Amino acid sequence: MVTSQTDRPSILSPWLRVGPLTIMMVIFFVAPIGIFFVYSFWTKEGWDIVRQWTFENYIYVLTSPVYTKLIFRSLGVGLRIAILSVIIVYPLAYTMVFKFEKYRDLILFLLAISLFSNYLVRIYAWRAILSSNGLVNWLLMSAGLADGPQPYLLYSQWGVILILLNVYLPFATLPIYSALLNLDRDVIAAAADLGASPLRVFAEVTLPLTMPGVIVSFVFIFLLTSGDFVTPVFVGGKEGMMIGNAVAEQFGALANWPLGSAMVFSTVILIGLLLGLIFLVYRIVRNVINRKRYDLYR
Amino acid sequence: MDYIIQFHEITKRFGHVVALDKVSLEVKKGEFLSLLGPSGCGKTTLLRTCAGLEQPTKGQVLLEGQDITHMPAYKRPVNMVFQRWALFPHKTVAENIAFGLTIKKTPRPDIIRQVRAMLELVKLEGYENRFPKQLSGGQSQRVALARALVMQPKVLLLDEPLGSLDLKLRQEMQIELINIHKRLGTTFIYVTHDQEEALTMSDRVVVMNHGHIVQIGPPAQIYQKPNSVFAAQFIGQTILFQGQVSAKNGESCQVATDELIITCPTGSDLHIGQDVFVSVRPERVRLNDTPLVDLENRLEGSIVNTIFKGPAVYYQIEAPGGRIITVQQHLEQDIPLYEAGSNVFVGWSSKNSQILLQ
Repeated sequence: MVTSQTDRPSILSPWLRVGPLTIMMVIFFVAPIGIFFVYSFWTKEGWDIVRQWTFENYIYVLTSPVYTKLIFRSLGVGLRIAILSVIIVYPLAYTMVFKFEKYRDLILFLLAISLFSNYLVRIYAWRAILSSNGLVNWLLMSAGLADGPQPYLLYSQWGVILILLNVYLPFATLPIYSALLNLDRDVIAAAADLGASPLRVFAEVTLPLTMPGVIVSFVFIFLLTSGDFVTPVFVGGKEGMMIGNAVAEQFGALANWPLGSAMVFSTVILIGLLLGLIFLVYRIVRNVINRKRYDLYR
Repeated sequence: MDYIIQFHEITKRFGHVVALDKVSLEVKKGEFLSLLGPSGCGKTTLLRTCAGLEQPTKGQVLLEGQDITHMPAYKRPVNMVFQRWALFPHKTVAENIAFGLTIKKTPRPDIIRQVRAMLELVKLEGYENRFPKQLSGGQSQRVALARALVMQPKVLLLDEPLGSLDLKLRQEMQIELINIHKRLGTTFIYVTHDQEEALTMSDRVVVMNHGHIVQIGPPAQIYQKPNSVFAAQFIGQTILFQGQVSAKNGESCQVATDELIITCPTGSDLHIGQDVFVSVRPERVRLNDTPLVDLENRLEGSIVNTIFKGPAVYYQIEAPGGRIITVQQHLEQDIPLYEAGSNVFVGWSSKNSQILLQ
C-alpha cells in the first residue's frame, strides 16, 4: 500500500504533544488510583487508618457471600448489557452505512439528542414508564396480558439493564458505525463477485472485518455499565443492587476507605479475568474458523 | 460472430447524472477489449453493469445470448479485478485465491491444486501464506488477478488494475496480462484511461466520452483513423487545425485555416464552405532547414522548445500567427538538434492530413 505522507517539520516534539494529557492522567487518574491501591492494603480501626500491610480486606471481600454476589451480579449485568447493545446496535449501524446513506447524519444526530437530556431525568422518566401504575403495566393490563402490575419491571436487574442499555446505546453505536464506514466497499463487492451470497459476504467479510469495532463497543459498554451505581439506586431495588452501591457506601456513610478500595480492586481484577477469558474464547473460536489455512506445500 | 457479451442500449443514471446513455456494444468471445476514456466517461459503470455490481436504469446485458440484466452479481459467471485490488485483508494470499472456490464448495484437493496453479501462473509461488498488507502493489495486483482467474470466468473484467503501479511495473504487467490472455483464451474487458495501455494490449479499443461510445476499432485504426476531434486528441498527440473546405477536386480538397491552406484527401460527403477540423500526427510531419518543396503542406516557424525524449525529439514550433505546434522527429541517427530560436520548415504530405467532422 502506498500512502502519501506530508513530512512537515514538527513544531512540538512528540513528547510535548502527549505531555498535557499524560500529566493530567498522572495527576487525576494514576495518582488517586495508586493511593487507593495502597489504602486497600491497610485497615481501619475506629476512625483511624492502620498503616499496616495486609490482605485482610481482599480476603474479606472475596470470601463474603454478599460482596462476591454483588461483584458477579455487576459483571453479569454489564455483560448482558454489552451483549444486548452490540446485538441491537450492529444492525442499526449496518443499515445506516449501507441502506440509509442519505439519513446517516440525521440518525447520528437523533442518537446524540438522547445525550442532551440529563441522566437523572431519564431515569425518572423510565421509572414513570415502568412503575406499577406506569405506561407499560397499563398497556399490559389493558391488553389483558397481565392481571396486575408486573413486579419484574421496576426494582429488578432487568430494570437496571433496560435503562443502562438505553443510556449507553449511542456510545455503543459509534465504534461499530465507524468500523462499517471504513470498510472498503470494493472488498464487499469482490466477495459478491466471487460468488458469495449476501449472507456469505456478511459472514466471511463484513463481520470479520468489523469485529474490532464490535470488540471496542462491547468492552466500552461492559466497563461503563458494570461499574454504574446511580441507576441501581433508583430502579434497582434489592435485586438490582450492584457493587458500585456497596463501594459508594464504604466511601460514604461507613467511611471505610480501605475496604471500599479493596472492593474496587477486587472488581477490577475480576473484570480483567473475565475479559481475558472472553478474549481467549474468542481467539479459540476464531482459530477454529480459520483453521483451514491452505498450507499448499505440506 | 459469437458474441459473449452484448450490451443493449444501456442507460445508467445516478440521480440526475447520466453515466451511460443508450450504450450498445458487442464483445467477441476471446477478445481483449479495452474501454478507454477520461474519468467520468462511464467506462467503469459499463464494466460494473456487466459484473452485476451496478443495475442499468434501462437496457439489457446479455451473456452468450442470455439476458442477465437482473441476475445478482454472485450468480454471474464473470469475475472482476478491482482498481485497488480489493483483496480480503484478513485472509492469506492462498485464502484470497481460494475464496470463490470454497464458496462453490469445490473439494479441498481440487482447491489446493487450482490455487497452486494460479500462484504459478501469476508467479507468486511461496507467497501463499502472506497477508495482503505484506505484499507490494504489483504482488497484490497478481493476487487479485489470480483470485478472479481461478474461477475460470467466461469474461474477466479488469477495472484499471495497473492504475496505481509505477510505470516500469505497469509496462511489465501489461505484457504479462497479454501473455495470460493468450494462454487462457478468456475474454478480457479492460477499463483504462491510459491510451497507451489500451493501444498496447487490446484487440479492439472502445473510446468513450460523456456516457457515449465515440469510436470502436482495432488500436491501429483508432490511432490512424480517429473519427472525431475527441478521439484524435485523446489517443496519441495531434496537431489540430480548424477551418472551412475551400476547394474540392476529385482526389483531394483544401481546407482554409487561419494559418495556412491544408491539402487533404477528400471524403465524398464534403461540401465547399463546410466547417471541419484537420488532424495531423506529430510524427508524420517532416522538419528541414530549407523549404520542403515535395510536400503539399508547408509552413515555416521558429523553434520555441526542444524536448529530448531519447528515441525521439519534440520541437515546439511557433507558426506564423503565433500558434505553437508540437512536432516529433525520430532520431534514427545522431543528428544535431535544432536549438531554440532557429528557423525551420515544416511539411507533411496531403495523405497525412485527416479531416474530422466533429
